[in-house]
Amino acid sequence: MHHHLVGPLIGNMIIIGVAGVITLACFVAMIWMLLRPGETGRDHPKRDILREDR
Amino acid sequence: MTQAVVIDSPSARQQDDTGLAAIFSAYIISATCWLLFATFVGIVLAYKFGAPDFAPGEWLTFGRLRPIHTNDTFYGWASIALVGLAYYVAVRSCRTSFYSKKLAWIGLGLFNLAAIAGTIALDLGYNAGDLEYREWPWQVRLIFLAALVVTAWNLIGTVAQRTMEDIYLSNWYTIGGVLWTCIIAIVAILPWYQYGLGQVAVSGYYMHNAVGMWFTPLALGIFYYALPKLLSRPIYSYALGVFAFWTNLSFYPILGAHHFLFSPLPWWLQTTAIVFSVAMLVPVLGGSANFLLTMRGRFGDMRHSYPLAFIFVGVVGYLVGSTQGTVEAFRSLQEVWHLTNFTVGHSHLTMYGFVTFAIWGGIYTLLPAATGKYPSRTGLALHFWMAGVGSFIYVISLSIGGTFQGLDWIRGAPFIQSVVDMQPYYVWRGVGGLLMFLSHIVFAWNVCRMTFGRSANVIRLTPAVSDGVAE
Repeated sequence: MHHHLVGPLIGNMIIIGVAGVITLACFVAMIWMLLRPGETGRDHPKRDILREDR
Repeated sequence: MTQAVVIDSPSARQQDDTGLAAIFSAYIISATCWLLFATFVGIVLAYKFGAPDFAPGEWLTFGRLRPIHTNDTFYGWASIALVGLAYYVAVRSCRTSFYSKKLAWIGLGLFNLAAIAGTIALDLGYNAGDLEYREWPWQVRLIFLAALVVTAWNLIGTVAQRTMEDIYLSNWYTIGGVLWTCIIAIVAILPWYQYGLGQVAVSGYYMHNAVGMWFTPLALGIFYYALPKLLSRPIYSYALGVFAFWTNLSFYPILGAHHFLFSPLPWWLQTTAIVFSVAMLVPVLGGSANFLLTMRGRFGDMRHSYPLAFIFVGVVGYLVGSTQGTVEAFRSLQEVWHLTNFTVGHSHLTMYGFVTFAIWGGIYTLLPAATGKYPSRTGLALHFWMAGVGSFIYVISLSIGGTFQGLDWIRGAPFIQSVVDMQPYYVWRGVGGLLMFLSHIVFAWNVCRMTFGRSANVIRLTPAVSDGVAE
């Protein structure tokens, strides 16, 4: 799709490249945390919240 | 960290619990009144699509009622309910008491004052213009901003006097959401941004962030507290919850420009908004997977726990609605869907299927724990099924009809052809909307049971799944 406001190709490539690398790195980190959640300590905050709040 | 507040005498504890329950109940009752009003206005609007000559008076014109419906849903219903829930979560998860009960009451008064003044102003024809979700005159938005500042102050003060070392994840989301929204509300008022192309950019920034930096973090914060409590099981990955918080913060503020593709906004800004719309899949997919993996092996519990079922629908609404938002940001698809009823379906999928179901899940989980009073199983079932089926009909009909509308426009059909093609879908939208509204009446009844009803024997969340009904 071409549009008269599209601007120079190099500028678009740089934006898409930089933002794309950040996005991909975050996807990798997300998948890593899904596959290896860790957090096995008994005193981890996520377990502490399960105690009676009162 | 400021001085931790430990309440150890039984009478002081009782008084503290009563105060918390009173504030929490007042926020939810107030929000419920706004839900009934705003969605009744929505029903009138839906009816006007089928009968445009119905209620022709200037106070009841579409142009006045439509912003009343959206603003009261946003700032009357969802905002007040989420702040009430955020207060409860902050006090309980920090094992402390309110920093200031007085501030909580003042905040509630300001939220209501803003919503009442805004509604009257809009109905009298005082509208800030074509600035979506900020149609209230700026003076009214200042009152809303004051309510946000009071809330932020009180939430931070409460968390600062916690009796435990860590700040639980839910409070990151809720406090973050309130602080971000203070910034958004200020930017939306600053006069030097309110003209020309800058106003377009700020409009995109405001309208999208009012959802994604306000309702989304608060609703997710409620999930992170209510879901583990309901299942008596920790969240699957705490680190992923923190990661989703930061990625949401980093990516979301840049998205607004995707509402103005093909506009005179700089092309690089539009492109960046599209790319980061894709990046938003990181917190959305990661967050949704986190909630669903927390529920793994326990989905069958929804058969006897409606609070869990509400939260599950909320999570699915978050996943589907936000992913749909990413897809809509692509130029090729926005060319079809922009300005059609598809967008209305999308906003109801997110604000209703996600945010409102999340609020209901939070209320049905936490309000009985505060008041010791429960709704009936019949009330829960009626609410859940009418709201669920109604919103499904609503979203599907507008998505299909909106697509036909867009295709009509692309192929150059006369505009009236798109109106004719939409007609059956408007009828289905009305049917879905009516079911949704009826479910809100049942919800109001359930809120009455949870606040003014008789106390039940069980007043705490039980270790196993709480079924959320009176014993």
